Amino acid sequence: MNTIIHSILAVAPAFTAYYLTALGHGFFEKSGVLNLAIDGVFYLSVAIAYASAIYTGNPYIAMFISALTASIFGILLAFIVTKLPISHGAAGLSLMFLGYGLGALIGNPAVFKFREIKMANIGFSINIPRTPLTSVTLFMVSIVACLVLLYILKGTKLGAAVRASGEDPHAASALGIDVLKIRLLAGAIGYALIGIGAAIFELVWLPTWQQMHGMGHGWIAFAISLSSGRHPILTMLTSTAFATLLTYQYLLQAAYNLSPEIAKMTPFIAAIAAMTIFMVTPLRRKLSPPLSLGKIFFKEERTL
Amino acid sequence: MHITVVRRVKPLPLGNVLIPSLSIITGILLASLILYLLMNIPPSQFFTYVGEGFVSLETLRDFILLTILGTALIISFKGAVWNIGAEGQITMGMLAAAYVALFTNLSSSPILGKITMVVLALILGGAWGLIAGVLKAYLSIDEVASTLIMNYIAYYILNYLVRGPWKGKHTYGYIRTDLIPESVCFSTLPIRGITITYEEILLLIVTLVFAYVLLYKTALGVRIRILGSNPEALKAAGVNVKLLIITLLTISGAISGIVGAIQLAGYLHRISYPIETHTPYLGYTAILVAWLSMLDLRAVPIIAFIIGSLNQAGRLLQIAGVGGIAVTYLFIGTILMTFTILRVFSEYKIKLIKG
Repeated sequence: MNTIIHSILAVAPAFTAYYLTALGHGFFEKSGVLNLAIDGVFYLSVAIAYASAIYTGNPYIAMFISALTASIFGILLAFIVTKLPISHGAAGLSLMFLGYGLGALIGNPAVFKFREIKMANIGFSINIPRTPLTSVTLFMVSIVACLVLLYILKGTKLGAAVRASGEDPHAASALGIDVLKIRLLAGAIGYALIGIGAAIFELVWLPTWQQMHGMGHGWIAFAISLSSGRHPILTMLTSTAFATLLTYQYLLQAAYNLSPEIAKMTPFIAAIAAMTIFMVTPLRRKLSPPLSLGKIFFKEERTL
Repeated sequence: MHITVVRRVKPLPLGNVLIPSLSIITGILLASLILYLLMNIPPSQFFTYVGEGFVSLETLRDFILLTILGTALIISFKGAVWNIGAEGQITMGMLAAAYVALFTNLSSSPILGKITMVVLALILGGAWGLIAGVLKAYLSIDEVASTLIMNYIAYYILNYLVRGPWKGKHTYGYIRTDLIPESVCFSTLPIRGITITYEEILLLIVTLVFAYVLLYKTALGVRIRILGSNPEALKAAGVNVKLLIITLLTISGAISGIVGAIQLAGYLHRISYPIETHTPYLGYTAILVAWLSMLDLRAVPIIAFIIGSLNQAGRLLQIAGVGGIAVTYLFIGTILMTFTILRVFSEYKIKLIKG
């Protein structure tokens, strides 16, 4: 019994990291913005969480800084694709590359700082300790985040406005919804969750850093969200599947004597498989993406 | 007073030249500002490296490879199919070429060996694109996500081989393959300081001619361009759009695959583990080339040269102990961002309205 509980609790860090990231991503996309910046900003947030935990010595402040930075990127993306007639894909991709560049520039020097501090104080660590209490807290946080977002989406005016902006921004606008404001808000909330997810990835799950650390995991979260139709509760199921796979891939590797490369490849193959499965099943029709996802929203000026 | 964006009656004159140029300049300035603020690199030093990049002979290699890759990408971009997976397609091409060179008898005949390397690289790169094409055409899975995810899968497949069954016998403790036989190595131009080969120049010309004929002289080319602007019209005309999307990604992947063969036979001559830290990320840089060329084939070589020089500047910074790939990503980000925003002004203008 004890071992079962322990093996469930062990999944908590990966689960929460992916779940919050996928949840934030899905919420933002509900507002109609195709979010291709996710991997770059996830990587940047991981780097910022790592660096600020080293410089401030406090992982919770680091998590806050990470969420704040990610939020700024979300607001920026929402602003340019709503205010200007710009391709969502191009805007998202350029922010992704910007995130990769900034992330590496911020993460790399922090490694030296970390070693320096470690020399003076051998007990220094940046991570939030992985106790059973931490795991339980993380699960609670995920459930609360899920319920809050469900409530916002289904039970509030804001949620209705977010969904309307994603389905048909022109109609929404005609009904008096300020699409720009709604998308800015969705971007801020969605990306704050992505930033927190990335911080948990770094500070609880894998507290280390090298050049490509965290790169690609944003895409896994993207696949998690897509293959659950961006639904907060279903996203929990897909996140559980991926988190279990990732937490235990190293055990599997040892048990079956697999190459570490095969283990590293598995989540990416699973990401493609998950999207494929979702798309071929009837789920696809029940949980279809917002109608105007990624479409340019731009009102032609007729008065001039 | 408020600001509005209005459509121009005619596109901005010379926009196709003005906008990419302005984007590159603004992007570099932004990158130098960020490097100064974050890494304390004086802009004067950064600009010196950028200048050196433009006159360095090393840049020529990137120039050729980026021209080929840029061409591969504009073929798919013209159809509004965003192949972001050139990196993975290059990797698969390299894998195919390495297999021919290391594990078949074909390397005993230089010409047959080289041709087989390139053809197999073409096929495997194309297959890598085809998978993304099928996922997009039949399941409407966004090709940006699938091609990017497949880059990682390609890296890890090659890493697995290099670490496992393909690990060389004479590697002095490094994890890497043996050198490929000299008979299938491409022949370098007899100029000091240059690592360009005759074979890649030939492949460059073939690629450009192929792309020109495909895009401007065939019915398929017309369909590709309509797919980019008005896919509904294409469907109405009875064209199999699904097949077209798959074809585009396959062609784009196949051409990218060639670059993997060129890198292996041209100057790498062996594959080192892990591949993702031994590649110059040209697959990503090429996205910038394709976009800044405004999808005009004639502009691809020009932009490839400029971006190749910036890449070289990034490499010089790495030798100086800062950046490297981080700098490359940074300028891809800043230039692309500026370009994405500035491009709006070829068709729209900003007006200040009083009242």
